[in-house]
Amino acid sequence: MPTILDIRHVSKFFGGLAANSDVSFSVEQGMIMGLIGPNGAGKTTLFNCITGFYPPSRGDVLFKGVRTNGLQPNQMCHLGMVRTWQKVRPLAKMSVLDNVMVGALARTTRLEVAREVATAQLEVVRLAHKAGAIAGGLPIGERKKLEVARALATRPALLLLDEVMGGLNPAESEEIIQLILELKRSGLTQMVIEHDMKAIMRISDRIVVLNSGEKLAEGEPQQIVNDKAVVAAYLGEEVA
Amino acid sequence: MNRRPPPVLRPRGVAALELVLFAAAVIALWCVPVFVKKPYVLHMGVILFLAVIQGQAWNVVGGYAGQYSVGHAAYFGVGAYTTMMLLELHHIAPWWGLGAAIANGVLLSLIIGTITFRLRGPYFVLASISMAEILRYAFLYYKDLTRGAEGFLLSEIPTLHLFGQEFEFVTKRPFYFVTLGLAAITIVANHLVQHSKLGYYFQAIREDQDAASSLGIGLTLYKSVALAISAAFTALSGGIYAMFVKFIAPDLVFGIDVSVQFVLICIIGGIGTIYGPVIGAMVLVPLSEVLRNPRGLVQVGLASPDSSFVQFVEAHLSNAHLLVYGVLVVVVILFAPDGVLGLLRRAGARLRRRREAQGEAGAAGA
Amino acid sequence: MVAFAQSVPGAVLILGGGVPALAGTELGPRMMVFLQSVLSGVLVGGVYALIGIGLTMIFGVMRVTNFAHGELVMLGMYLTWGLFHWLRLDPFLSIVLVAPALFLWGAFLQRAFVNRVLDALPQNQILLTIGLGLVMSNGVMLAFTSDYRILTTSYSSASYDLAGISVSKPLLYAFLVTVAITVLLYGFLLRTDTGQAIRATAQDREAAQLMGINVRWTSMLAFGIGAALAGAAGALISPTYYIFPQVGSAFTLKAFVIVVLGGMGSVVGATLGGVIIGLTESLAAVYIAGGLKDLVVFVLFLALLVFKPSGLLGKTRA
Repeated sequence: MPTILDIRHVSKFFGGLAANSDVSFSVEQGMIMGLIGPNGAGKTTLFNCITGFYPPSRGDVLFKGVRTNGLQPNQMCHLGMVRTWQKVRPLAKMSVLDNVMVGALARTTRLEVAREVATAQLEVVRLAHKAGAIAGGLPIGERKKLEVARALATRPALLLLDEVMGGLNPAESEEIIQLILELKRSGLTQMVIEHDMKAIMRISDRIVVLNSGEKLAEGEPQQIVNDKAVVAAYLGEEVA
Repeated sequence: MNRRPPPVLRPRGVAALELVLFAAAVIALWCVPVFVKKPYVLHMGVILFLAVIQGQAWNVVGGYAGQYSVGHAAYFGVGAYTTMMLLELHHIAPWWGLGAAIANGVLLSLIIGTITFRLRGPYFVLASISMAEILRYAFLYYKDLTRGAEGFLLSEIPTLHLFGQEFEFVTKRPFYFVTLGLAAITIVANHLVQHSKLGYYFQAIREDQDAASSLGIGLTLYKSVALAISAAFTALSGGIYAMFVKFIAPDLVFGIDVSVQFVLICIIGGIGTIYGPVIGAMVLVPLSEVLRNPRGLVQVGLASPDSSFVQFVEAHLSNAHLLVYGVLVVVVILFAPDGVLGLLRRAGARLRRRREAQGEAGAAGA
Repeated sequence: MVAFAQSVPGAVLILGGGVPALAGTELGPRMMVFLQSVLSGVLVGGVYALIGIGLTMIFGVMRVTNFAHGELVMLGMYLTWGLFHWLRLDPFLSIVLVAPALFLWGAFLQRAFVNRVLDALPQNQILLTIGLGLVMSNGVMLAFTSDYRILTTSYSSASYDLAGISVSKPLLYAFLVTVAITVLLYGFLLRTDTGQAIRATAQDREAAQLMGINVRWTSMLAFGIGAALAGAAGALISPTYYIFPQVGSAFTLKAFVIVVLGGMGSVVGATLGGVIIGLTESLAAVYIAGGLKDLVVFVLFLALLVFKPSGLLGKTRA
């Protein structure tokens, strides 16, 4: 499988503090890449560096073989990379359908087309019955789904999910897991930050572990579970 | 934050009805001068229509795109001065001058946008105010170009020859028709913009800039487009205003109270709605015009010349008509942050709920 | 702008080596002009600082940008004028009455209006305070008309001669009182429990609340103090400024420039910012043009907003 995202020696400093230092890995087309690590490990910062919200302090991000450092988030979106937010960001006063239409309008200027795409995406995340509701009034589980639908409506080649299961009950989480797997079957590449270990082990093809901003380990879920360093730094802490 | 959301999905019939009502209202207003000849009424009409244009204009960038400019006097003043100076210094007729006013307004918006759109929240508000203030001071200072505080007095508007007819701009009548027509055009234009990709993008920016950006919206580009549209209409209203009142000076057209007034028109009616500025203008303009010149009421026959109200207003309030603006802002922000439209909507929702509750009670009883 | 840019490097040089030479009075006329404008800039800047400190405290504690701040200064000016006009009370003495009066007024405004919009959108807070400002300025206009008033004391145009540099007496007094008030305020903020509570609230409202600080009371107090400082500043400048209802808006904008310059919420920053703005105005008036000094201030302000929005003392955003 060809590589879609290549992260080469990416570092991000805030003042003197390194939120990411010298992180390298690559994501192949069609796979689900898990990104885990304790709180403050620099996962979300890495997402921000990849999606254009921060320029990396050092290193390069290559998306579809093109160096994308310094591009803005909206440009990344047009290249085919979109992210969701750990703390959901619905366009609160707009309807659910309008939220998703905003995503769809990245690929069209015609409202009818956008409306069709948006309606279809709402079906995919099973939120069609809430199309007319105001986004700000949705419960958390549906807001998370809305985030995913809105991102999908931009027709991404790579979807970055930032703790999309955070704060959900087991049934809702299971629904999201099924959705992620369904999207994978349809050929979408995904990179997932998640705290729920069981979930991430289930869905990921490969996993990168970050700790204190550095890459601690990388491998298939089974390797990660058995990695001594990971167990010591992260999983051990969870078990204990 | 527990504001009740407006209903989103509206049946198609409502839209058609809306269009008919809108057309009827415009036609009715068009016929008013046939029956009413009193200059005061026409004067009020012109100021009202200008306020509608200004409110709609501010609404594009402030209400829909969420960029709270309190410096729109910059575009208003530039429009007024462009039209006035072209006419007085170069004898260029205002119908060409207004085009230049719009061009200058848009140009200025691009400059101001480049500088201020990196800023958010109070910083953006401050920067927008500063821009208008810089222009005010510059127009006061560079007297050789602008005549400074002395300002410009309009001498005469040339006769317009169009379709083999002659149009004189001496009385208030022609201004009435021009501003009514432009106000209607502004409303329609705004409606079209809001029901297009642009409108969706503006609202997305208002709701959450980071989310909007991640969804492919170029923030600076779309904010600039919103500001340019807004500046164009504001500059247009400035040019017409200059021709109508026939005198402009820096403090009059670049003052911060001018900018505040534009915001007020929207916030009183309801920010980010098509009819909000219309309602806001209908509340604000009669109020401030009556306070400014209570003799008008006498002229219309609503008050007798020796009425104590007229005398009181004339003696005390006509200098301080902004006092009413101040009270209005405070009251609206505290008690009706979504404006008159928000109030109506809430009242409607309450009524509907009561009816539903009654219906349920009736059903339970049966 | 060119003239200004040229004058700045010179300024640094002269200040660096020129101060001891003051005693010798071997200064050329150009240097005298320069020193003169620096001095009056610092004196006026002190009073500006007072206005800025009040605004920055209000912002720090409540995160509300008070667009009616200049109107509070204006009220202070009118109160001082009234006390002088009817009771022959010296403007510098009247501070003892004006500051407490404005304190109460500010606390009232906070309690009755501002307190209700603490959780509202920032733009609504801004509009509310703009509205309050309009009410104040136009209310005063109703009572006193829009005529310009002048408060003339026996020393209004008197000055001391300091080695050839004239020092305006009212400005000097104003500066000295400002320094005294600022010292008292710093002492209050650093040494007293109430002052600590205000600083804690400014740093983190929620944490302060958790620690048992009465945030509502603190907010009212901060608004009151801010208003009192603005009123005191109004009293201090009343002998040297025209007094009219609309004078406030210029001070509001100036106060914002000062506060942004020093970093929103920083009292030390506002002190420094005030002096810098006073200096800028004074130097711009001499070296560019009197009519352009406000314009220069706003241009600098915009440049600052764009290039260093966290203020001169603040950390640059990542």
